Amino acid sequence: MTNSEKTRLINVLEGKPVDRVPVICPGGMMNMAVREVMTATGRTWPRAHLDPKDMAMLSLGVKHLGGIENVGVPFCMTVEAEALGAGVFIGTESTEPRVVEYPLKRVKEWENLPSITEDHYRVSIVLEAIRILKEKCPETPVIGNITGPISLATSLIEPMDFYRALRRKPDIALRFLDFVTDNLIFFARAMLKAGADIINIADPSGTGEILGPWAFSKVAVPYINKITDAVEASSGYAMVHICGRLGSVLGELGKLKSPVISIDALTGLRKVKESLPEKVIMGNVSTFLLEKGTPEKVAIAAATSIKQGAGILAPACGISPRTPLKNIRAMVRAAKGERD
Amino acid sequence: METGKLLKAVADSVLNMDEEGAAKYSKEALDAGIDPMTIINEGLIVGMNQAGKLFEENQYFVPELLLCSDAMYAGLNVVTPHIKKEENLYLGSVVIGVVEGDTHDIGKNLVKVMLQASGFRVYDLGRDVPAKAFVDKVREVGADLLCLSTLMTSTMDEMKKVIDLLEKENIRERVKVLVGGGPISSSFARSIGADGYGENATGAVRVAKKLLGIMQAKSL
Repeated sequence: MTNSEKTRLINVLEGKPVDRVPVICPGGMMNMAVREVMTATGRTWPRAHLDPKDMAMLSLGVKHLGGIENVGVPFCMTVEAEALGAGVFIGTESTEPRVVEYPLKRVKEWENLPSITEDHYRVSIVLEAIRILKEKCPETPVIGNITGPISLATSLIEPMDFYRALRRKPDIALRFLDFVTDNLIFFARAMLKAGADIINIADPSGTGEILGPWAFSKVAVPYINKITDAVEASSGYAMVHICGRLGSVLGELGKLKSPVISIDALTGLRKVKESLPEKVIMGNVSTFLLEKGTPEKVAIAAATSIKQGAGILAPACGISPRTPLKNIRAMVRAAKGERD
Repeated sequence: METGKLLKAVADSVLNMDEEGAAKYSKEALDAGIDPMTIINEGLIVGMNQAGKLFEENQYFVPELLLCSDAMYAGLNVVTPHIKKEENLYLGSVVIGVVEGDTHDIGKNLVKVMLQASGFRVYDLGRDVPAKAFVDKVREVGADLLCLSTLMTSTMDEMKKVIDLLEKENIRERVKVLVGGGPISSSFARSIGADGYGENATGAVRVAKKLLGIMQAKSL
């Protein structure tokens, strides 16, 4: 018997058997919004970051036209940062929104920052988009995406100053991370309340490659786990995306409580699965191949990820808006076991 | 302390992320009559190169390398006012930045630190830099090398835009172009007409020297 998209993904998250591997693009940093779909649906960047209906319909458009088995919002990593006082440029039709002004000059000033509220305009747009998606496609998993704690912290202060503080003034840096994490938990809970089934946490600035194994396990993992715990306490599911080469922290990844770990194409999926047999490994179709390769090559790469043990098939990282739909479809067909 | 011991104390201070020590021993070395260029080349830069090696061996990571470079600068601030002819200081000049649309600058900052530590004069344009700003700066300072960085797949094509603009403005031949960042590979670098690809901060310095025909030993 075939599962519904939602049942299939939830079963994977709960470690239950499924008919086949699901194929998703979670959203957020790993968003699915491509130009072809923007053109076809008329829901374009940057407007889709600022209008809940456009945001929802663009995500839904990729599901309809590309065949991926989820919807997810937002399409960037700036919502929380802006709600916490950062200056954001909303991007163009082909570039993502980005932080252009940090509200903090020094880490210890964090107590002056505002907190995230549900009625901050960026936050309310995302929450409303989730409500729309929940209503439009109740049988499709809705993924709410949040920025990881270190990536959010380094969106509020010059990253180099934050990394310095981690070593020089760890107590202040960790208190700041507590504040950042509490705000992320607030946002994640609001997303779950609005109808999100899963919270995806991506922390590209908090990788083992940047921090090293010691700081990764002492600074990144505990805060990500705090969010995972809060999400699960609110009856949601958490996924964690870790960027970069995993070599130096393979041993630490097992400490992440999330049942799913999404990985980059830089590390072989088989190796990660072997060292973390209890985790669902998500990934890791090269985004470069998805943009520049042929559907045949994408199909081979997708089949390889599945063969190496991917429990969920997904792009390895954020895909380019220029990624052709035919390549996304080729990835989807590989999960469904269909031939060209 | 004798010269060798003082220089080692300077290098060790950098390697051990000790800003105060780097400044203190640099001052002591100056007071002992050691030539400022010797303190830089055989003290501060040696320490930074050792830090770079540990970084490459996955023993140091971004925070550690950053604090080593802070210590190196603490020493440089003490020593450089005593150098007579500034132009002797540099192996070449570099313009560096993250391409437009991308604000991830950790990698770029590390490459900058290692290039400076290796003796290059670096003009840092920051992040989210339009193609034209790169080209203008290269022309303005007569740069030997242009380093472009991006972390995101979605902004990789900006690199080609910069190279195309160099061509269009007829200064492509005057400058070598080195690209790097998460999604970049050497085949991508070739495909857009770049001269080289830097896999990481220390690798970028190696390639930079190779492109400019600088022997490795010259930095020591």
